[in-house]
Amino acid sequence: MALKNMHNRQAILDTIVYIGSFFLFWEWLRPLEQITDTADIFIFVLYTAFCFFLSYMQLKWWIGSPLKLVGLLFILDGLFFYDPFLSKEWRIQFINEIQFNISAMMNQEWWEMTSIFRSLLFLILLWLMSYLLYYWFVVAKRVVFFVLLTFIYLTVIDTFTAYDGTYAIVRTFLISLIIVGLANFQRILMKEKIFRIPKDKYVSWIMPLVTVILLSSIIGYAAPKFSPQWPDPVPFIKSAAAGAGGEGSGSGIKKVGYGENDERLGGSFVQDETVVFHATVENGQYWKIETKDVYTGKGWVRSNDDEPFVDSTDGSIEMNDFSPVVETVSKNGELAFNPTEKLPKLAYPYGVSSVSANEPVAFYSYRQQSNEIYALNTEGDTTELIQYEVGFHEPTYSLKALREVDENADPEEVKEQYTQVPENLPERVQELALELTAEETNRYDKAKAIEDYLDSARFQYSTTGVAVPGEDEDYVDQFLFETQIGYCDNFSTSMVVLLRSLDIPARWVKGFAPGEEMDQLENGQRVYEVTNANAHSWVEVYFPEIGWVPFEPTKGFFNPTDFTSGLDLEELINNQEDKPDVPASNMEEPKEEEKEENSTAARNWSIDIDWKDVFVGASVLLIVGLILYVTRFKWLTWYKIKKYRKKADLETYVKEYKFLLALLAKKGLKLQSDQTLREFAIEVDKKLHTIEMRRLTSQYEKILYKKDPDETQWGKLTEHWETLINRILTNL
Amino acid sequence: MTQQTFLMNHKVGKLLSNIKKVIIGKDEVAKLSVVALLAKGHVLLEDVPGVGKTMLVRALAKSLSCDFTRIQFTPDLLPSDVTGVSIYNPKELQFEFRPGPILGNIVLADEINRTSPKTQSALLEGMEEKSITVDGTSIPLNKPFFVMATQNPIEYEGTYPLPEAQLDRFLLKLNMGYPSQLEEIEMLKRTSGTHPIDSIEAIMEKEELIELQQQVDDIFINESIQRYIVDIVSGTREHAKVFLGASPRASIALMKAAKAYALIQDRDYVVPDDVKYLAPFVLSHRLILTSEGKFEGKSERAIVEEVLAQVKVPIDRGVQ
Repeated sequence: MALKNMHNRQAILDTIVYIGSFFLFWEWLRPLEQITDTADIFIFVLYTAFCFFLSYMQLKWWIGSPLKLVGLLFILDGLFFYDPFLSKEWRIQFINEIQFNISAMMNQEWWEMTSIFRSLLFLILLWLMSYLLYYWFVVAKRVVFFVLLTFIYLTVIDTFTAYDGTYAIVRTFLISLIIVGLANFQRILMKEKIFRIPKDKYVSWIMPLVTVILLSSIIGYAAPKFSPQWPDPVPFIKSAAAGAGGEGSGSGIKKVGYGENDERLGGSFVQDETVVFHATVENGQYWKIETKDVYTGKGWVRSNDDEPFVDSTDGSIEMNDFSPVVETVSKNGELAFNPTEKLPKLAYPYGVSSVSANEPVAFYSYRQQSNEIYALNTEGDTTELIQYEVGFHEPTYSLKALREVDENADPEEVKEQYTQVPENLPERVQELALELTAEETNRYDKAKAIEDYLDSARFQYSTTGVAVPGEDEDYVDQFLFETQIGYCDNFSTSMVVLLRSLDIPARWVKGFAPGEEMDQLENGQRVYEVTNANAHSWVEVYFPEIGWVPFEPTKGFFNPTDFTSGLDLEELINNQEDKPDVPASNMEEPKEEEKEENSTAARNWSIDIDWKDVFVGASVLLIVGLILYVTRFKWLTWYKIKKYRKKADLETYVKEYKFLLALLAKKGLKLQSDQTLREFAIEVDKKLHTIEMRRLTSQYEKILYKKDPDETQWGKLTEHWETLINRILTNL
Repeated sequence: MTQQTFLMNHKVGKLLSNIKKVIIGKDEVAKLSVVALLAKGHVLLEDVPGVGKTMLVRALAKSLSCDFTRIQFTPDLLPSDVTGVSIYNPKELQFEFRPGPILGNIVLADEINRTSPKTQSALLEGMEEKSITVDGTSIPLNKPFFVMATQNPIEYEGTYPLPEAQLDRFLLKLNMGYPSQLEEIEMLKRTSGTHPIDSIEAIMEKEELIELQQQVDDIFINESIQRYIVDIVSGTREHAKVFLGASPRASIALMKAAKAYALIQDRDYVVPDDVKYLAPFVLSHRLILTSEGKFEGKSERAIVEEVLAQVKVPIDRGVQ
């Protein structure tokens, strides 16, 4: 009687739990209509219900399976076929479909698969799920895992797709509470071997569950709903991937681009490929904007903010940053700005001689030291130009002349202004500079040696993971000796400071790198696209009699400035072997490489990421990860048995024993803190009807408590260990 | 484990089975008495009369071929009845010392709480100092020296309960308890002819016993287990229901007992189980409960068990 009661009760509980599982699975199907091109989802739900029902009936397989198969074909017929069900034409068409799709699958032409076939596969999946869920919920009574998966699925779908999971979550929550509660009830009864309970006890057990469910659903329904506590991650991930930059994520990551304030350098930034301007010019140029002269230890400031402006109404500019002895070629170019990205100062090439805008400008105002040019309107306010032409005398520096300058001929004022370093600059910076230039005899080779050093593999170019110097750290010192990872500011500032520590006048230049070549016009001019990501800083070194010469220490960037050997042909040939790294000769190669790198990078960024794929991939990974985690003891055991079989020593044995304890704990036999190993071993052996645990424990005790544990029988112990592990896995 | 120690342990086993012949169903008490004997400690047996306390001690003494003496404590017993007395010998014209029962090897002090504190302390001083003072001269006690005191917990009229400081001198406090029905029947069968106590033989010489006692000192105890002991003992001091917890002497006692127990278990190292098993026997008579604890009807043993449930057993290889 009692037994019959128990069976009845179990059957009722099982039924409720199984129906709950169907509703949970339904929640998996609901979003499909919206996020995939699946139509008629209701039919699939019906089929699922049909399969669940048949699985529940526990029919013999030779009754159940044909019924499900017929149901499956019937649905396919209703959805896709026009001929009468199972008529000759129908069968031919069906077989043709199958053949066609299988061959498409064989050839991995997934896109060829027809919707009939896909529906067929989907229906088979539903069929299998009915088995799986029956097993999980009714046979194994493992409810929580699937409930958890459902929640993860819904939250992920809700987050990453258009599907609105608000009510799905509420429904899932309710169903979950019911089935988890019931399954738990049943498990307790089984565990405690309770076969009969009075009717009123049922009530006293069911009432709290019902109350909790009702209460939580009422509260859930009535309570104010929080808006998402985390910002929707999708736009951020997309923007980070596409390089569009987020609206101030507030995480300390900056957006790349030209900015005025350089007092505090360092930190990572997000790449930003927004176009700033298109430059039409014969060849790539540094687009210089300004220079700075005072290094504070953290960044750059200007020593003389009161430097007088030179005004020019006709647009002629005289920067005087190199002397007339330098050979020049007259060229001109045109800059057209992106209206949203206009700059307060003009960007111009080396040797600029004139500027003319297509819009009214009263006069241009520029400074010869800081090398800034402003355009002003009639009211004396700065205007941001959208388009202007520049005329310039592109300098070509003679290496011979650069090598031959007298290092002691720096004018006093230049020397004073441009060899400043902070007082607390660590000494090792100067020591490094001295070491690097120990063998060089002239200023040019010294600068080149430092440039080459910064270009060496020791340093890494990266816009992310770049440190900000702490309160008592020096920006340059940190980069050179600690982090060795950074971007143009790190490289250029370091080079300036290294040069200055040798008393070589140098300054820090800001502007834009030449950008990417987009087009070549018929008149020989080329169009370069300059984006925020091309914002750049580099170095100028002062050479007496010659002037300021640009250097490029940043890895992966090249110096567009022209250098000639300045030697006779014969001398050149003689010297080539000694000086293989004359910049003029290695100019071209890095240029090509750089281009290639840039363009591949650009391509990578521009690939449209298919978010559906990412989502599917992430869910698969998540599920695989979960399964691996849940079953970790199974595969870990297998792996450990293999591993320990080879080794037999004290250390291995300790690991084996600890693993054993962990496995037992996972199976519900946990070593209590007041329990001795011996007591625990007796408990385990009693439960498993073994003696191995006591044997293993007495050996382990020796390791723990004996003066010098003898190392004789480890191999034998591993055998016991294996036996016990297998016993645990089969019995617990 | 050397061959010699193995033989010795074999003898311990034989000793126990010898006692078993006489005392039925009291293996644990016999074993613990041997533990105390090997640890050079003493035992306080607390139980009602007639459960075989005396028989146990006699069996032990006989198996060891040691001198067995017995002191029956009564209210009018004097210290000199315990220690011995100097009597004037007119023939020799000098005082002659007549040794008292305390100068045996195994001393049964029956109903120790029936005599006055003065007489009690004569025995207890000897237990601690291993010597007695008679007429100003110090006389060393015999080796081995093992006292088994009994007290009757039921009668309170005219008794002098041992003070806390005195109780501390006993390594273990044991309870005999009644035998089970089957055991009692078996007992009747055995005593129908000659009493088994008359037929057992000595199996261990005094020297062998002394050597075993020395071996106890060589048993290895890991630092982690020493810490475990200290944790338990200091746990009794922190327990809310305890007025006075166990003293550091209790820690030493617990360690010694654990070592002796390890030896009779054929091990040359101590495991936490030894400590855990012995703690109630070593500690419960050293605690004084608060009046609150007494009113709740808590036994000292239960307190020790509560402490044991809270102290973490060392199962890491941290300290070697």
